[in-house]
Amino acid sequence: MEANANATKNGTKTLPSDLQQVGVVAKYDVLKYLRSRRLLGILIIEALVLVLITALVATSDRPHTVDEVISQYIGFVSILIVLGATLFGGDAIVSEYQNRTGFLLFPNPVKKSSILAGKFASSVAAMSLMLLIYYAVAIVGGLLMGDGGMSTRVFASLGLALLYGISAIAVAFLISSIMKGSTGALILTFALFFLIFSIATSLIGQLGGIKPWFMLDFSGGSLSYIMNNPYPVDSVDTIGIGSGMSYTIYNYFPEVYLSIAVMLAYTVVSLVLAYVFFQRRQMAA
Amino acid sequence: MTEPIVISKLTKDFGGFKAVDDLSLTVPHRSFMGFLGPNGAGKTTSIKILTNMLSATSGEAYLNGVDVTKDPKTALANVGAVVETPEFYPYLTPRETLAYLGELRGMRKEDIDRRSKEVLETVKMTEWADKRIGKFSKGMKQRIAIAQAILHEPAVIILDEPTSGLDPRGMVEVREILMELKKADYTVFMSSHLLNEVQEVCTDVALINRGKLLRAGTVADLVGQVTVRRIEVQTMEKVTGELLNKVSKLEGVTELRAAGENHFIFSIDGGNEAQSKALTDLQSVGLKVVSFKESGLALETLYMSLIKESR
Repeated sequence: MEANANATKNGTKTLPSDLQQVGVVAKYDVLKYLRSRRLLGILIIEALVLVLITALVATSDRPHTVDEVISQYIGFVSILIVLGATLFGGDAIVSEYQNRTGFLLFPNPVKKSSILAGKFASSVAAMSLMLLIYYAVAIVGGLLMGDGGMSTRVFASLGLALLYGISAIAVAFLISSIMKGSTGALILTFALFFLIFSIATSLIGQLGGIKPWFMLDFSGGSLSYIMNNPYPVDSVDTIGIGSGMSYTIYNYFPEVYLSIAVMLAYTVVSLVLAYVFFQRRQMAA
Repeated sequence: MTEPIVISKLTKDFGGFKAVDDLSLTVPHRSFMGFLGPNGAGKTTSIKILTNMLSATSGEAYLNGVDVTKDPKTALANVGAVVETPEFYPYLTPRETLAYLGELRGMRKEDIDRRSKEVLETVKMTEWADKRIGKFSKGMKQRIAIAQAILHEPAVIILDEPTSGLDPRGMVEVREILMELKKADYTVFMSSHLLNEVQEVCTDVALINRGKLLRAGTVADLVGQVTVRRIEVQTMEKVTGELLNKVSKLEGVTELRAAGENHFIFSIDGGNEAQSKALTDLQSVGLKVVSFKESGLALETLYMSLIKESR
């Protein structure tokens, strides 16, 4: 059969490349974050956290180094990342189905892989903006309230935070590609990081005595530990509790390079699975 | 030249239920084809396969010569579609929505600006062009949906029940837009279960039921095939059993039933001549006929008989 798809009613046209379409989807998805209350909401939460930590550090009598002050701020980054992943990625895919905007978008000559990549890029951009603002304020706070110079570990922490953010968004996209409703997807994403992952990590590490290096939240912890000098090492402490009985405490810390590998693996596997589910998902009703 | 839409042995099986069953259909170049069938006939499923929203179990569906089941991006390059009643991104205005979809299709900025102005005028949404869509009514959204379908001047437009769910005013407004499309040289494939809409707007029609094609052709040809007419009669006399008994014995009268105190309806086969004779016969048996008129559309008669046969 002769193909004449590029011949329009009044001439010819060439479709943009997949990559160009990724850019278009990302551009308009970023607009969604800028105009919705989600980005504003998370920035308000971020501002409140920053104000609170600043007030605590400023009123503390103990002298701090710049890195110690910045570490105080960094202690809350993981929570912000989970919130960001939930709000920026939790319903990115499912909303096209539940809100019926897929009826508008999908009949266009654009591959689902381009839609997924574009949405992912915009979510990562929103997450990055949130983290960059947070770290910028933390650095300024550290320099103003701390003594001495700032180490490059801060930038390493920022890099790990960005990677943790990216991998958390990828997991959120996977959930979003499977779930039927936006609310369920948002709740599950939040619960996965705050409850399921943390409970599983505790059970595996504290009760099982197995280092949970393969857990995403455990790997994400490296963004805080990297501020310690020297970097903490694993330890096993056995404490006697009388009558010949003892209690063993396992202290596990993520190794930086292994953490990076785990976060990358979560990102790749989650995105591939999200794509497979999204590709197979049909606009049935 | 390849016909703009060619469906070949298309089947969609939902776990044992065949929503589309070995459907083959060709939509001629520059025709306005109505895709007609009752609820659950397989119209929307077929259109969703054509627009890459559903995968086909088997068969092929070509848009401008490209199989949409194999290469949807290329196949949809020159197609505009409105499927069901789409929702819009509430944070975008109509102009921004058109820009988004135009950019996805590779249109240049100046072309997007020019065409957005034109299509928003066509669908009478110019004054709403820069308002966010979030609070728009269903009718307004449907007009924007049609605007985005014609933005890039596609060769083929696919519409899935474009007046469905609209109030009477909205239906009239959308139908006016459809008449405008008919004047332009698009090929339009439009599903509907509204027979008057199809007979009013379409040049061609395809009838479908239970996923199978029953009949396809030009509206004129199909209407011409209809020889059975439904006649509605109003009399001075009250419609009694005796009166109906008399009428039932007249030549060619079938499906006779009372429709009110002074009304009855019957069907007659044989075109204008039979219809004229029926009026004479009614008067010859002593009925005082107040009105005698053809009831319903010819397409409706054909539709009902084909649907009945296919059960």
